[in-house]
Amino acid sequence: MRYRSWIVAFGSLVALCFTLAESRAWDETRYPDLKGQWRPIGDPTRFDPSNAWGRGQQAPLTPEYQALFEANLKDQAAGGQGLAQTNTCISPGMPRVTNGYGQIEVVVTPRTTHIMVEHINDNRRIYTDGRGWPTEIEPTYLGYSIGTWIDTDGDGRYDVLEVETRGFNGPRTYDNSGIPLHEDNLTVVRERIYLDKSDPNIFHDEVTVTDHALTRPWIVTKSYHREPDRQPSWREVTCAENNNRVDIGKQNYMLSPDGQLMPTRKDQPPPDLRYFNRSGKQGP
Amino acid sequence: MLFRGSISIAIAGLLTAMATARAFDDAKYPDLFGVWRRVNLRPGGQPSFDPTKPWGRGQQAPLTPEYQAIHEASLADQANGGQGNWQSGARCMPPGMPASMTAYGEMEIVVLPEVTHILLNHNSGYHRRIYTDGRDWPKEVEPSFQGYSIGKWIDEDGSGHVNLLEVETRHFKGPRALDPTGLPVHADNQSIVKERIFFDKTDPTILHDEITLIDHAYTRPWTVLKSYQREPGKYPIHSQEDCAATTANVLIGKELYYLSPDRELMPTRKDQPPPDLSYFRTYDR
Repeated sequence: MRYRSWIVAFGSLVALCFTLAESRAWDETRYPDLKGQWRPIGDPTRFDPSNAWGRGQQAPLTPEYQALFEANLKDQAAGGQGLAQTNTCISPGMPRVTNGYGQIEVVVTPRTTHIMVEHINDNRRIYTDGRGWPTEIEPTYLGYSIGTWIDTDGDGRYDVLEVETRGFNGPRTYDNSGIPLHEDNLTVVRERIYLDKSDPNIFHDEVTVTDHALTRPWIVTKSYHREPDRQPSWREVTCAENNNRVDIGKQNYMLSPDGQLMPTRKDQPPPDLRYFNRSGKQGP
Repeated sequence: MLFRGSISIAIAGLLTAMATARAFDDAKYPDLFGVWRRVNLRPGGQPSFDPTKPWGRGQQAPLTPEYQAIHEASLADQANGGQGNWQSGARCMPPGMPASMTAYGEMEIVVLPEVTHILLNHNSGYHRRIYTDGRDWPKEVEPSFQGYSIGKWIDEDGSGHVNLLEVETRHFKGPRALDPTGLPVHADNQSIVKERIFFDKTDPTILHDEITLIDHAYTRPWTVLKSYQREPGKYPIHSQEDCAATTANVLIGKELYYLSPDRELMPTRKDQPPPDLSYFRTYDR
């Protein structure tokens, strides 16, 4: 009888333990360890790190958007910014933020995975709370991301985060060479984010872009390595603090160290001053 | 006896396994998930540092005479069309701590055992990290607008659930201001900001942040209580403000200009001179 009561007690305890396990809202051991500070492997100024910058990216652009891209390169060669919009501290947007311009932190919680990049305005939220697509999305440069954690090998642990991102505004480019996305902003970006099978200090992001400026989906795999310091220092980046570029009219100008407007290319026209009373003296 | 001993060992093993497998028991922490917005008491003007009082002079900030004069100069400049000490609007700069916690836009709080992230959607987005991993102050810290924050979760009533986050923030850079009238902090950036973040005792949709600013521009520590309300809904939606893409302000030298709908320069005050175009070959087109 005594043994039977012990068995009942043991059984009750096991049941309690399982109850506790189920009531535990967040078992982070089921998710890959993505803590720490990450940096891109390869040059973050290129969307496809395996191909050369600019034309070397071999982006599968439609003829119309290839022509826009060529005009952009010509403008950049003349000192302009072309289609690349970040020089005035506008967010790079998706999918360009996956290039990883600054320190990267991945924060996994049950309902959201945050990918935060210390750069301009690059912090992404990927909702993993089971929501569907809203009927209306306020367009943003980073888009609206819904993700699902997948246990691909059935070992009880998630190993892949699948993400789809929609709901963009623009203009956006893939990198600073100005490879454009379509101005209709109907881009769809799908990602598979996972730790490397052999090196847990590397994670990959397989990015597939579907966009009306492309003749086919453009698939690029990006990789990031974890910095060894597990208590890293994070550097606050404030783009506007030291930015010396300014857009006026359809022109991009520079500000001199003494705060005066300067041309960015030869024979660039100055701003139109029609709104000023020209009877006064020039300059403050 | 052998059987009873085996069961005891099994129980001990099971409990140990349960304890170690649970790396993060988030039930110990308050549920701060969602979109939080500033509780606007609307005492007058734009959002103020002390939300119970109107902005600007109405704050009755305990400024030293020197910094009172700086604030008055900021107000005078703003009355003349300038931005005064408030860099946030014209330049898309962060207001910095402690004004960040005025929460001009949405706020999200992400609690992990080692760090609490506070994400603020304003201008280009601000990101505060509050380290709760037991670290001490580092020997060297790169100054920042949000500062370096160390926090500690407290279980005030011994319930096994922490209910209060105490935070201290140091190591700032400037310029920073406390409200859009340019209510200043000291140029030495030696501010210390202490916070107590906790849920309202009676309304779990309300969060409070009791902020104490210690700063050489002030004659005494200044304590204010800010409150935030959680938006209802199972699936919160966060937006992305991008000040640089939408601002119509352009700062050239020390002069603030405005961009017309066709993005051309306009004066912000009567008889404002246009910018100096001496770097251009010709400025008549």
